[in-house]
Amino acid sequence: MTLLTVDNLHTRFETNDGVVRAVDGASLTIDRGEIVGLVGESGSGKSVLARSIVGLHSPGRIVEGAIDFDGVDLTDVSASTRERYRGTDIAMVFQDPTATLNPVFDVGEQIAESLRVHDDSSGQSLLDFCHVPLVSDRSRWRRHRERAIELMDQVGIADPEDRVDAYPHELSGGMCQRAMLAIALAGDPDLLIADEPTTALDTTTQARILDQLRELAAETDTAVLVISHDFGVVADCCDRVAVMYGGEIVERGPTDRLLESPEHPYTRGLLSCLLRADDGRDRLPTIDGTVPERFDGGPGCPFASRCSYGTDDCERRDPAVRTVGPDHEVACHELEAVRADDSPAAAGSPSESTPPGRPRADPSESVTRDRARADGSRTIDARGRSGSAGGSADRGDPILEARGVTRTYDLADSAIQRAFGDSRTLRAVDGVNLAVYPGETVGLVGESASGKSTLAKLLTGLEAPSTGEVRFDGEPVGTVADRTADQLADVGVVFQNPQGSINPRQRVRETIAEPLLERGWDSECRRERVRELLDLVGLAERYGSRRPHQLSGGQLQRVAIARAIALEPRVVVFDEPVSALDVSVRAQLLNLLADLQRRLGLTYLVISHDLDVVRHVADRVAVMYLGEIVERGPAERVFDRPSHPYTAALLEAVPRIDDGTDATRLEGPIPSGVDVPSGCRFHPRCPIAEPVCETDEPDSVAVGGVDSHCHFAQQVASRGVTEDSESPRDQSPDPPDTTTR
Amino acid sequence: MYLLYRSLTATVVLLGASVLTFGLVYLTPGDSAETILIQQTGHQPSQEAVESFREEEGLNEPIPVQFVDWLGSALQGDLGQSYYSNRAVTELLVQHLPATIELAVASMAVALLVAIPTGVASAVHHGSSIDAGSQLVALVGVSMPNFWLGYLLIIVFALTLDLFPVAGTGGLSHLVLPAIALGTGMAAIVMRLVRTSMLEVIDREYVDGARAKGLRGRIVVYKHALRNALIPVVTVIGLQFAFVLNGAVVIEVVFQRPGLGTLLVDAIFARDYPVVQGVVLVIAVLFVVTNFLVDLTYHYLDPRISLGGGTR
Ligand code: SF4
Ligand code: SF4
Repeated sequence: MTLLTVDNLHTRFETNDGVVRAVDGASLTIDRGEIVGLVGESGSGKSVLARSIVGLHSPGRIVEGAIDFDGVDLTDVSASTRERYRGTDIAMVFQDPTATLNPVFDVGEQIAESLRVHDDSSGQSLLDFCHVPLVSDRSRWRRHRERAIELMDQVGIADPEDRVDAYPHELSGGMCQRAMLAIALAGDPDLLIADEPTTALDTTTQARILDQLRELAAETDTAVLVISHDFGVVADCCDRVAVMYGGEIVERGPTDRLLESPEHPYTRGLLSCLLRADDGRDRLPTIDGTVPERFDGGPGCPFASRCSYGTDDCERRDPAVRTVGPDHEVACHELEAVRADDSPAAAGSPSESTPPGRPRADPSESVTRDRARADGSRTIDARGRSGSAGGSADRGDPILEARGVTRTYDLADSAIQRAFGDSRTLRAVDGVNLAVYPGETVGLVGESASGKSTLAKLLTGLEAPSTGEVRFDGEPVGTVADRTADQLADVGVVFQNPQGSINPRQRVRETIAEPLLERGWDSECRRERVRELLDLVGLAERYGSRRPHQLSGGQLQRVAIARAIALEPRVVVFDEPVSALDVSVRAQLLNLLADLQRRLGLTYLVISHDLDVVRHVADRVAVMYLGEIVERGPAERVFDRPSHPYTAALLEAVPRIDDGTDATRLEGPIPSGVDVPSGCRFHPRCPIAEPVCETDEPDSVAVGGVDSHCHFAQQVASRGVTEDSESPRDQSPDPPDTTTR
Repeated sequence: MYLLYRSLTATVVLLGASVLTFGLVYLTPGDSAETILIQQTGHQPSQEAVESFREEEGLNEPIPVQFVDWLGSALQGDLGQSYYSNRAVTELLVQHLPATIELAVASMAVALLVAIPTGVASAVHHGSSIDAGSQLVALVGVSMPNFWLGYLLIIVFALTLDLFPVAGTGGLSHLVLPAIALGTGMAAIVMRLVRTSMLEVIDREYVDGARAKGLRGRIVVYKHALRNALIPVVTVIGLQFAFVLNGAVVIEVVFQRPGLGTLLVDAIFARDYPVVQGVVLVIAVLFVVTNFLVDLTYHYLDPRISLGGGTR
């Protein structure tokens, strides 16, 4: 039964630069108990569509169209009626749970509020909600708080009795998202809208939240609209998918059909950008260009500016919606031409030839100025891909190395606390050895709190190890403060969040020239070098005079990369370089990284929780858990035949656009580094833990070129990735995640 | 733990304040003994009289000894005798303190009651005529000296309209005009601050989150947004208390209220050092106490600040 019908919806914002047509004629239906996915890049209008349905103030003005919810047109009712639907009938979960929970109220209060609203949505009194003594109905609030505990239990928050009093900052991101889910469910909504519900979360947590959404739809007949830029996420849990671009739904249909035979060039493009287990290290297909800042709203297909099949007709006339299969609709003029490129994989390739945001790959163009420091390692060409998996004999000496590095943090806040005997310490990194050899790419994976970012900080000298040493080129090096100018210039760093690492007031040019200035380059050389760098990272020269807020996330990350390579480092450390970006932008950036590595002979250390990214870029990987490296080895081998249960579990959690079999999920969150579990530190969460694991710390075991810290490494490697010994995956090297479509 | 830490720092601050207060007397020019005797007796005292007065008051002891003596008795509630009226300083303080606290609290209340709703309304209706109007009023409020406003209020509401008494103490009606005179400046500052802080908070995702729950607009604004917006405001309110005490001195004189301000001014003119010391010390204590309260409120408002002092 259809619950929600959005019909030809138009939502507009008035801005200083004129009208933005964020939603421009979108139509969509959702049935009860159904999960529908809404996919598109940022700027495609999907969040605004969601907010329009919920009726939040920010979506601007709905100027046309209807939102029919259970027989009532929500665009046609009074504001107060609208308010009554919110929370109780239509609930929403937002992208960043830590930002959506109010930091100053405990979780229980925030859930209880929702329950209270649901109980009595018209009788909300400010004094009651502010718990003013005497006026406020204490016993009722107490009852709601108790129900809040039940709800928390229901959404999978462990120890809800304790957590009910916790403030958002005391909980992990995943836990916060569960709390948000509890808030949304408190109203017992008919429709739940989840806007990028897992984008800010670890893969393992993401998998469990998606499971939760699926259960919800199945058990309570709630309709769920999942919004994501990632087709993988949506494919993993949705019955039907709508693809949005330029404020319009360009294609919609059953998930399977869309995955198997996508029709719209945009859908094909999005699918082809996804990282696949089997695409090795090839260049990734991308979608030409970027989402325009605004769509003019005139006639024509919104995708025309980026579409390789576009004709004049496309720019003049709105494409009609055509039904191409059961419940499968597409809005495109040139379906025949598109179909002629038979496979969707090929559909991405026309754009592959020259993604505009990429440096013209001309190896003869000498961008690398003659370096002051002649260095043999520079001559290493590409990456010796085939050899990379092999022995270390031909690798030479490591360029960057951590030797028995440990980093602990004192948890006591003040001298007084310490004086009173609070000596708890957090072991973020615990005795790690890691070597990076010239010319290779090492990937470092793990959940948040696994210590991978701390390790990066230690290697780059942003922090000092508590014990152990970091070596560069065989020489022990200290922190940034102690390193020589040359040593500093040799290591570049790119962080996850470019907004945070780039001064918002500086122009792009100044940002990139910063390290040059510090190194004492004169203004002429700086200008010249900045021009080169902009070109290298594929930004047009005019971007030099822009300020950060005028750039998109992908462009900002390019600026960060330009700054990192400004002094021609030999090693670049990337901390989550692409995890905040759209899939299409991610593909472009990964291509850029590969180009730069090839042209400049760079050595990379790439840190990410995204296994697909690491698999795509890395020659060798190290998997980190609770401050230790639990498995390391050649990337292919580790990802195809993991020999540590943790790696296996991480791999299982990656959403796949395939079979959708129920995978094993890692139970519980990563424990804190304060009370490290005895024996194997993974044992509380390990699906195959044996008594011995609790007592004995496993040594490193070599399994076919891979080092694994597990008592049963051999068995894990031969068994495949499931915990269930009854149904061993066949011994083929194929992981369960082949996506050869 | 936190209380221990706080009391330690508070003690240090108070000790410093008392050193300063005590030292104040010795930094002022002129022979105080002589001046006092002139004032008490009305004629130039003899050398012996001055000597014996010094002996009596312990003014011949070395300064550190005098300080320790003074501090010792201060801790027992004995701040000495007024040179002038021969009454115990403590007694004078107890007599004058309530009027000042009354005034300070009343003007704070006036300020907050006006500033918070206006600031919130201004932010919620950002860019509207409400916003522009309250901004203008705030500008006037900030720029108007409080004594001037005090006289203005007296002329209009007491002398012309005869709604409130001109001066003195008594019931609530005596408090209205001074509280307004003193509270206006602070109201203007706090209002601007609330506005800025609300504007920053109102676009946050958790405000949308609260709305998405189905909470009414007023609850979203006054519970979810304001509670966050007040965090930075509270610090400033704490600092503002210094200005309130400051202003109280002036306003008490304008309205002839027998408070600490009047006491202080009289004592300064009379070179009644024990009284000056006493008043300054009381103000210092009030200051430390309010800051302590501000800290507690701050923590209550923002659970992210751990009581140990650091954030995690
Ligand atoms: S209508 Fe034209 S421009 Fe739009 S997607 Fe189809 S072929 Fe491309
Ligand atoms: S040692 Fe035991 S607990 Fe640790 S990963 Fe291996 S099987 Fe699991």
